[in-house]
Amino acid sequence: MVVQQVKIVKNILAGNDQLAEHNRERFDAAGVLAINVMASPGAGKTSLIVKTIEALRPQARIGVIEGDIAGYIDTEKVLAAGASDAVQINTGGNCHLEANMIQKALDSLDLEQLDILFVENVGNLVCPSHWSLGEHVKLCLLSAPEGHDKPVKYPELFAVSDVIVLNKVDLIDLVDFERPFFYESLQALNPGAPVFEISCRSGEGVVTWVDWLLKAASELPTSLTG
Amino acid sequence: MHEFGVMTYLLQAVEEKARELGACRVLAINLVIGDRASIVDDSMLFYFDAMKPGTLAETAELNMRRVPSRFYCSQCDSTYVPGKDFCCPDCGAIGMLTGEGSEFLIESIEIESK
Repeated sequence: MVVQQVKIVKNILAGNDQLAEHNRERFDAAGVLAINVMASPGAGKTSLIVKTIEALRPQARIGVIEGDIAGYIDTEKVLAAGASDAVQINTGGNCHLEANMIQKALDSLDLEQLDILFVENVGNLVCPSHWSLGEHVKLCLLSAPEGHDKPVKYPELFAVSDVIVLNKVDLIDLVDFERPFFYESLQALNPGAPVFEISCRSGEGVVTWVDWLLKAASELPTSLTG
Repeated sequence: MHEFGVMTYLLQAVEEKARELGACRVLAINLVIGDRASIVDDSMLFYFDAMKPGTLAETAELNMRRVPSRFYCSQCDSTYVPGKDFCCPDCGAIGMLTGEGSEFLIESIEIESK
């Protein structure tokens, strides 16, 4: 019998990351910008997607993968708003989406017919940040009523995101949201990330956000603007 | 539920590596887990016990070394573990997140082979 200690130093989720890379190859081959939308329940993930679809129709063809514990309400909403295609994933109880779920969902989407794909993660500020899906952009959405202290309480999601959207800014004065505290926390966690203040209800800030999104899509190797 | 998925991938990776090395048994799995990795040790141990039967790690020990989440203060040129905000406890300046605390690694395994 030989006993030995073997050094590995490998990410625990390397298996998931490998599947995520395959998803990424599929997005790249089709020239589709994939965005992983992460937020707590009720922050306005579906509203952001709906507003974006409305703002970009018919300029960009947008697909959506909806992740929820149960039901298909959101899929109906995005299709009614004009999404080119949508697939619902019901995780049954799993608190986040994983790369293998996206791999399966992609089999029922024609990526060639899309320019942008939103993946709406399960409402949760913790787990989704650790599971790569193969997306180009990790988007963290926070709504003002949730409070300015969320980045301090849930640092990882704000730290790993490529873009941060603050929704429901029409309510900001009613809910004592302290902008300086919020922005200082973001400066510590993720100084380079762009932040967009919007209201999906009033439409404020949506144009600026959508411009950024189109620019990100145009920077893909194959893109809607060529 | 988070730790269930983590344990699935962890056991898969350990089993694969142990077989590749010709091991007949895994004696220990040593992990490094940063405080921002959102992992609860008790929950990991719960799923480990539930899922290890039938694998090479059936009798293995699961060890987790925790790493605190640290920030860097450029004014003081030192690092700190933050409190109620991300400001440096010595000078009050806003610090910057470092990589320390995001670790999520299998550091090593201890195996037995014939």
